Amino acid sequence: MSRMYEAVYILDSTLEEDAITEKLNKHHELVPQASGEPIALDMWGKRTMAYPIANKETGFYVIAKFEATPEMLPEFERALKLDEGVLRHLIVLDEGAVMSTAPSDRDGEDD
Amino acid sequence: MARPNKTCAVCESGIRIVDFKDERLLTRFLTERGKILPSRLSGTCARHQRQLSRAIKRAREIALLPYIKGFAG
Repeated sequence: MSRMYEAVYILDSTLEEDAITEKLNKHHELVPQASGEPIALDMWGKRTMAYPIANKETGFYVIAKFEATPEMLPEFERALKLDEGVLRHLIVLDEGAVMSTAPSDRDGEDD
Repeated sequence: MARPNKTCAVCESGIRIVDFKDERLLTRFLTERGKILPSRLSGTCARHQRQLSRAIKRAREIALLPYIKGFAG
């Protein structure tokens, strides 16, 4: 029984955008979609992080929503862990939460 | 019984499910130190307080929110 998942990826900001897209599409081959089309990548782009991860101040944020069965996930997560370019990832069940602020006006961390 | 104070800010803004990526909303429920505001202070209803704390913890995990703010660690 496949369910909708939401994933957030923080990638090394030194990578180019197309290198990041290519890398994520390669990883997403591990979670093939029933509809067959590639998974949409919501690029938030480079942002300063609230605290340094792997001694880096900025990270490239990408959000993806995809459908998967529980059996696919361990393999997918392992691939993400092995990839040094992916500093951190978070995969949660998609709660269909809607942003109260328009996603476009997201600026860097300003605290 | 404490007098019923302010209404739940999340219900006011018409949000049913709190999104952990929405740090602009989440920061309103943090102290200056970055700790989670208790619902007795923020007046949040129990349902949204549970969602808020889960969303804040996830946001901290993906470095949208700091664990401790203003700490020259």
